[in-house]
Amino acid sequence: MSRPARTARARPRGRWRRPAAVLLSYLAVTACAAVFLAPILFMAIGSLKPDARVLAEAGGWHAFWPGAGAGLGNYGDVFRRVPFMHYLLNSLWINGLIVVLGLPVNAFAGYALARLRWRGRELALAAVLAILVIPFEAIAVPLFYELTALGMRDSYTVQVIPFIANPLSIYLFYSFFLGLPRELEEAARIDGAGVLRTFLTIVVPNAKAAFASVTIVSFLFYWGMYLWPLLVTGGPGVRPLPLGIATFYTLPPLQWGDILAFGMMMVAPVLVVFVIFQRWFVRGVAATGLKG
Amino acid sequence: MGRTHTGAASMRESRMAWLFCTPAALGLLIFIVAPFVLALAMSFTGLRLGSPLPLEWVGLRQYARILSDPAFLHALVNNLVFALVVVPVQSALALGMALLLNRRLRAMVVFRTLFFMPVVFPLSLVAVVWVLIYAPGPNGMLNAALSALTFGAWQARDFLHDANLALPAIMLTSIWQGAGFQMVVLLAGLQAIPGELYEAARVDGAGPWQRFWHVTLPQLRNPLVFVVIVTSILSFRVFDQVRIMTHGGPHDASTTVIYEAVQAAFDQAQVARGAAMSVVFFLVVVLVTFVQRRLLRQEREVS
Amino acid sequence: MAGTERTGSPRRIGVTFAVFALLGIVAGCSGRAEPAGVVTVWAHAGRAVERHTLERQVAAYNARRGPDRVRLTFIPEGAYNGQVQAAALAGDLPDVLEFDGPYLYTYVWQGRLRPLDKLLPAALRADLLPSIIAQGTYRGHLYSVGSFDSGLGLWGDRRALERAGVRIPKGPGDAWTEAQFDKVLAALAAHDPDGEVLDLKLNYPNEWFTYAFSPLIESAGGDLIDRQTYRSAEGVLNGPAALRAMREIQGWFRAGYVDPNLDDAAFVQRRVALAWGGHWNYPRYHKALGKDLVLLPLPRFGPRLVTGEGSWSWGITRRCQKPGAAARFLKFLLRPDQVLATSEANGGVPATRAAIARSPLYGPHGPLRLFAEQLREGYAVARPRTPAYPAISAAFAQAFRAVRNGAAPKRALDRAVRTIDRDIRDNHGYPDVAVTGRR
Repeated sequence: MSRPARTARARPRGRWRRPAAVLLSYLAVTACAAVFLAPILFMAIGSLKPDARVLAEAGGWHAFWPGAGAGLGNYGDVFRRVPFMHYLLNSLWINGLIVVLGLPVNAFAGYALARLRWRGRELALAAVLAILVIPFEAIAVPLFYELTALGMRDSYTVQVIPFIANPLSIYLFYSFFLGLPRELEEAARIDGAGVLRTFLTIVVPNAKAAFASVTIVSFLFYWGMYLWPLLVTGGPGVRPLPLGIATFYTLPPLQWGDILAFGMMMVAPVLVVFVIFQRWFVRGVAATGLKG
Repeated sequence: MGRTHTGAASMRESRMAWLFCTPAALGLLIFIVAPFVLALAMSFTGLRLGSPLPLEWVGLRQYARILSDPAFLHALVNNLVFALVVVPVQSALALGMALLLNRRLRAMVVFRTLFFMPVVFPLSLVAVVWVLIYAPGPNGMLNAALSALTFGAWQARDFLHDANLALPAIMLTSIWQGAGFQMVVLLAGLQAIPGELYEAARVDGAGPWQRFWHVTLPQLRNPLVFVVIVTSILSFRVFDQVRIMTHGGPHDASTTVIYEAVQAAFDQAQVARGAAMSVVFFLVVVLVTFVQRRLLRQEREVS
Repeated sequence: MAGTERTGSPRRIGVTFAVFALLGIVAGCSGRAEPAGVVTVWAHAGRAVERHTLERQVAAYNARRGPDRVRLTFIPEGAYNGQVQAAALAGDLPDVLEFDGPYLYTYVWQGRLRPLDKLLPAALRADLLPSIIAQGTYRGHLYSVGSFDSGLGLWGDRRALERAGVRIPKGPGDAWTEAQFDKVLAALAAHDPDGEVLDLKLNYPNEWFTYAFSPLIESAGGDLIDRQTYRSAEGVLNGPAALRAMREIQGWFRAGYVDPNLDDAAFVQRRVALAWGGHWNYPRYHKALGKDLVLLPLPRFGPRLVTGEGSWSWGITRRCQKPGAAARFLKFLLRPDQVLATSEANGGVPATRAAIARSPLYGPHGPLRLFAEQLREGYAVARPRTPAYPAISAAFAQAFRAVRNGAAPKRALDRAVRTIDRDIRDNHGYPDVAVTGRR
């Protein structure tokens, strides 16, 4: 690595060290990534292998190499065995609704908790955290009784409505709104804008990072949901993806190639959501007009 | 920063706040709080799934039973140990990764996605793959890797069936799976730190470590507190890995409260017993969380 | 929605569920109003060949242009029990339903199923294997029939067995005793590079352990529960006979004979010489070992061999408005040609004697005739016919796991007995609250 030349804009030490620091961080990141991603690579490569070889080659370098006979056969299998596209569309629809409907509902609540003064605010915040503690498994059965009594079963509605208000999203919004610099809001309020107007015209456009994060997090939270659809769906009509994978869990030997292919395909939409939205929140933050 | 609101304005603010909260409050109350209250009521009965027998009130019997059940008590201890280890380790790891990736270079976007990938896979699939990684014998992936790293000094272990290694094995899987999730949040927080603060610090002659301590960490306080609190709450809820990888064994070495509760409610159809476990779980975790919040004291912006 | 619930006096929960169910049905947004003449059927989604066969059977039935048509829905096998129970709670069950063997009794006890005694002709019932009738009968009435039964045995690699100089049993009467089996394992281990010679299918899901290993307890003289009263497992599951059996099994683990079978390929890759298994393994094992494949009876831990039985079977729900039509479909499935088709698809033992006689696998010279023999001659013992079965099975599986991990068998079995007994006590001994059967 040659020494960088002193330019006219030469700055003190920090700049000069930069190329070495960059190289080091690339190395660190790559090393981390390699170890971190080994299991995923194993899954990805395994999804290309014929069933028998997936497990046979699990313990060694061959786990990471497709080798002979590899191809997209398992992916074709998945489409033949289950109505994958149908399940995928179901999952996308259900998850999409949960996220899209959840954004306004949870953002409003998060803002009220973070910025507005009202009696019971402390209590409400404590309640949100307490509700976050409640695991879904604890309320699955009572919720099932509750909704069955209301006649809701085996539909998109019953898989969406219970999850729109989400304590994790509320808490995420609350945390982000807390950290936003107050100057813009103060300016708007002095100019006479009401709370709602301030929120919609000032806060929301500047909180793209928050919306993007919540989208990613809540999409993820519910994408793999299994217990609830198990309880409330019957036939394949509104069945989502995670239940579809249960088809493959018959008596062993399990067809690992197919299962991994299913898993990889199930993961693709979430990755897409992540890739799209992570750019948003980077751009959104960069676009924040506020400096210091 | 004195009060900027008159009486009428603050009443309006109050009303708007209530309005803002109503949809969420409705949702939370109907779909989470109400069922939990129902579960609480169930925990005082002998309710079993689908039983044709009449419902009977048993008072505190379920609680007495679970609190004298060695498996449940072991599960409580396991949960606490799990949280105590996983939260700091996973958060530190996530912070480290976020710092590494916080540069305006093209490749970092790719790496960001890569580090996030473990989070994206369904937990059941992840658990199954890790069962293979933990396979006993010298051919298991982890055993082989450790052996290679220690130049043969490592003795092959059966991680998932060893009473001392089962819980750590699950911890490792959880950390691996969850770190990316926290990294996303911390990265957003890092990105939101105005560059000027770093410039100012640099001009003042602060080195990288000092910049970290005096600029990064304080600015990152809210997302960091969020990450710690959420990770600890979610880490108490560990279930899928236990179910798939160890079934709570060996000898309850890796069982957790949620695993015991689901087993009771769904495998043994003892809904009331599962409900009692969930209530105890709730009380313990709420207590822990509030102690945590006291200690961490998240910044409150509303004067 | 007339009086299917009229029998028996209303009890609090019963009435509540009826109200929920009614609300659910009336207000339900799933549009389940069936046109007259449609019989709804749920089946578990097994392997492709099994599913295709069932689909073909349904198509054939519908093509006969009888008065009713069958509509088939597959439910993922991994989620089957959970979905059925949830549907039962919501009052959303189909007309005809499949059950995995002994989980039937819970549904009968909950009042979900109709008795089949009057719906199936006596001649048909006489032709069924005694094990099928045994499995489907609860408190004196028949509630389910299967079109196939299972076979449980020991698969062997002839080459490895001969190399070790081991005697190969010829039939159920010739099974290895406990002591002989020990010697067999030792001899096989001496010729095996890693000493692991036995595959116990440790990678299988929970229910396998009860199905596969309770026969050993039973042949030793113990049992999962006292079958006179079905009230307690004390002294039976943790008595000296059962303890002996579990200690023996633990000995196999201790001696290092057992392959963990993570990849489910220990036997087909010839890493082990013996594999605990059943009829469903035959296609794969036959392909891998060809002429070297032998089917052996399990070892016997007492004077007589005991093996397992029971598999998926069909029942008609109380919700069904046209039991006659449903029964017609079941009768179709039990015709010899259909039974044979099913058996060919899943490798199971055909349920009727007529079909067995014609079966290439199970007939007098078939390679799997041992399974048929075991079932016919009464070597097979049904799993306990009690609604407590899920609790029993879960408790036993947990005990087995503990023993596998080195726990003291007495402690493990005592804990299982406590769990089972408490379950039965909590349910007041599973009285006949909803099982009325029109007496």
